[in-house]
Amino acid sequence: MALNRRQFLTLMGGSAGAAVFFQACGIPEKELLIDSPIEMPEDLVTGIDNWYATSCRQCDTAEGIVVRVMEGRAKKIEGNVDYPINVGKHSPRCEAGVQGLYHPDRISSPLVRTGPRGSGEYREISWEDAIGRLTNELQNLEASGDQSQAVLVTNPIGGHLGLVADKFADVFGARRFTYEPLETSVVRKALSDVFGQNSMPDFDIDNSDYLLSFGADFLSTWASPTRYSRGYGEFRQGHDHRGKLVHIDSRFSTTAANADEWIRVNPGTEGLFALAVIQSIVSKGHISDSVVNALTGGDSGWLSTYSPENVSEEIGVTPETILHVGEDFSHSNHALAIGGGSAAAHSNGYASVKAIFSLNHVADNVGKKGGVILNPDSPIGGLEAAPSGNSFAEFQRLTEDMQSGTVKVLMVRGADLFYGLPDTSGFKGRSANVPMIVSFGGMMDDTTSMADLILPEHHYLEDWGTDIPLAGVGYELVGFQQPVVRPFFEDRGDNLGTKGFGDVLLALAQVMQMDLGLNADTFKEVIRESARELYALGRGSINAPTFEAFWNGVLQRGGWWDVNAKGPSSAEPDRLDGISSPVITGSGEFNLMPFASASLLDGRNASLPWMQAMPDPISTATWQTWVEMNHKVAEERGIKEGDVVTVSASGRSITALAMPNPATPPDAVSIPFGQGHRDGGRYSAGRGGNLMAILDAVHDETTGALAWAANKVSVTPTGEWVRVPKFENTVPDFPRDEHNHVIELTSEDTH
Amino acid sequence: MADSQDRKWGMVVDIDRCTGCNGCVVACQSENNIPNNLEEHFNQRRAIQWIRIERYWEGEYPNVKARFIPVMCQQCGNAPCEPVCPVYATYHNEEGLNVQVYNRCIGTRFCANGCPYHVRFFNFWEPEWPESLKNQLNPDVTVRSRGIMEKCSFCVQRIRRSTREGERDEVQVEDGDRALSPACVNACPTTALTFGDFNNDSSQVSMMKEEAMANRGKKEGRGYRLLDNLGTEANVIYLKKVDNSAGAVHGH
Repeated sequence: MALNRRQFLTLMGGSAGAAVFFQACGIPEKELLIDSPIEMPEDLVTGIDNWYATSCRQCDTAEGIVVRVMEGRAKKIEGNVDYPINVGKHSPRCEAGVQGLYHPDRISSPLVRTGPRGSGEYREISWEDAIGRLTNELQNLEASGDQSQAVLVTNPIGGHLGLVADKFADVFGARRFTYEPLETSVVRKALSDVFGQNSMPDFDIDNSDYLLSFGADFLSTWASPTRYSRGYGEFRQGHDHRGKLVHIDSRFSTTAANADEWIRVNPGTEGLFALAVIQSIVSKGHISDSVVNALTGGDSGWLSTYSPENVSEEIGVTPETILHVGEDFSHSNHALAIGGGSAAAHSNGYASVKAIFSLNHVADNVGKKGGVILNPDSPIGGLEAAPSGNSFAEFQRLTEDMQSGTVKVLMVRGADLFYGLPDTSGFKGRSANVPMIVSFGGMMDDTTSMADLILPEHHYLEDWGTDIPLAGVGYELVGFQQPVVRPFFEDRGDNLGTKGFGDVLLALAQVMQMDLGLNADTFKEVIRESARELYALGRGSINAPTFEAFWNGVLQRGGWWDVNAKGPSSAEPDRLDGISSPVITGSGEFNLMPFASASLLDGRNASLPWMQAMPDPISTATWQTWVEMNHKVAEERGIKEGDVVTVSASGRSITALAMPNPATPPDAVSIPFGQGHRDGGRYSAGRGGNLMAILDAVHDETTGALAWAANKVSVTPTGEWVRVPKFENTVPDFPRDEHNHVIELTSEDTH
Repeated sequence: MADSQDRKWGMVVDIDRCTGCNGCVVACQSENNIPNNLEEHFNQRRAIQWIRIERYWEGEYPNVKARFIPVMCQQCGNAPCEPVCPVYATYHNEEGLNVQVYNRCIGTRFCANGCPYHVRFFNFWEPEWPESLKNQLNPDVTVRSRGIMEKCSFCVQRIRRSTREGERDEVQVEDGDRALSPACVNACPTTALTFGDFNNDSSQVSMMKEEAMANRGKKEGRGYRLLDNLGTEANVIYLKKVDNSAGAVHGH
């Protein structure tokens, strides 16, 4: 029916009148659908939305997501129901991908520095020019045989992007580093020794009935939180028997808050606790001799040094607490132990985490329901999960090389070294000796803003990629990442705008006539070539008559997997060693318990306003750096919420807002990582304090990783006060009395 | 498909599953064009979150607990916000939803005063986004201007769109369909939120509600309504948090 404007207005007037009339006379037969999205007839042609599957890159898990696209614009991100890791669920961080895509401070073309470093003065150049400048520098090194004076640092990347980056560095002869501020190398090495695998296994939290976790905030930030949270939901209410979660940690984290029991231990003694639990179980004989022999090297005598009685004082708990945990653990049908986070961030981190994961051998749960599920190798040869980062000790050596002038070109992608390396590394000062810093950052961060040349990469929603999961699901899985929208800066033309990191490396290789052995000119082609290998396997989730159909199927579902291609069903226990006491430095009176922010993680999400505004689960604080301390201790010292305090560790300090609460141990303070960026766009620059910067250079004895939980600090009020931007008290309290609770509790014994 | 007039939307929230991760909160911001809550908005206590996680402390270190509860509009059957609106901006629709018609609202804020759950939020400012971030805005949801009250709608735009597309394609829009479910429900990693039609006896929410409310006092009868004594007939059913530790108190 065609309406002219007059007829339309008449009709609208009529229906509005009718609505009022009906209000007066009771419920109409068929109500007008007037609702929040105002469906005026003019708007009745609603757009068609398409949902495209791809991989999320907001954290290292690479969850499968689907992105709602309307008229070429990404609108909403949700979990991909098909994708085995997260099965339709997603973390709060995934949602914010669209804000990264449309961030107002994205870099829209290659830039070359015109002012002094850090001044932010840049000039736009063309891609041709930018690639020419970089190849020029690299070819100069090549000419003098100094290829190793080029260094390529990236965040941990696996899949094809990792492959291309590794090959590029390898063929050219550049040194290749992987950087992550909160290192996973301790956990990864311990896991590989305990279970004989390089990748992280899957933890079947869903079917477990007794979960013992040490330090790892697995419900919020650790490893694969969405997958673990999904399992946790079922663990709680998905079965007849509700699982029990016991969390052993020196901080009251989100996981501690959700645990049935939080056992607070002294910092760095989590592994000692685990070893004492093992000792108590061994001494009671609730374990097979072969496992005892494997774990202790044939002579279990040394283990008695770590009996609950001997170590309870160092841990800060009673021997009964440890014995009780040992009893429950050994008597549960599906006991499971996981650990990491702050437990790994000590000088004894490796030994601790190894003891923690070895509890799974004690429970004999490897390859079993409710236990540790091992992963198979990657189905595509040469394609691996992202490696763990190089250790802090290796980066310290890199800065020494910078000092001595043997780093000439520093290429950085996704690794914010200027932000994340502690001041003690001397990185910032020594970077002055590097003649050329190149960043591939698509947005300014503390490192990109120090670069001499910026080759901005696409946002991940505009780019291709693949992912071999870091923490797999127990069977073969390859995630596929595809562009869901055309590049946002496409209108700037081919010689400006952004480009994919993989494509830029391929272009560099082409200009310098390097053969990467990839048999393809574009990054998409590299991926397609590998997909042919998957197709040739003739099995798995996509069954297609032709390769084109297979390729479309893979992109449609966000990946390829084969539920029948499982990992090994058992692993040999590795011999345990004793655990030394943790090295704690600094003279302050509080143990500093840093933690990854639930939204900003190690700082990588700080530029996104939804992440800045997401209340921290425990403190509900937003937008700032706060310090959690025990409210009674705070009261004794006259510190109240919002007092600006100086937190000092061995002469270096940051300021933070005091946030007293009843859960922080009296001898500790907790501060989130994530703020304190010098640069990083309008939402993060100059906000809060950078906790990374003040940490002491304490290493894990085995891996050389930074022990970030090993500092003692002092807390001094500055006399200033500011209001803490927090969600708590934004709305008035509910009226409550003894009969009306907001949160009602029950116990399973209630009848 | 059941006639849309027969439907009555409701939600079941299992707080024993909720970990307080705030996934629902961010999902809601994204879906419903909620302006960025900047630092000053929090400081003025005027941040807008249609769904929020409340955190309650219990006890003292070392015997301390933090408990979480998601709170959104309870879509009351007997809503205190509705009769006070002088312009029928907030009214009850046939599907049991308490809806807010933004272009009727004149900003008296009577409804916010009337709501015992404090889930109504007032736009004290004109919402602002940098130009490029506007590309993300959901075209199915109105951007609310200054002086307008807003609140959780159970993502009515999703209900409308999926119903319309279901009618067009002649397919049954199943209860629990992701296209129908609110953004928070789809996001929740622990499946603490379940959404559906209380009038459909075979829907998951109906069965959960039935089990939870009929067996009150028994182990499986964990259901309760928030501030039930006010008689609001809320369409959000909460399932109690389970705490087996000795000495657990009975609530907050």
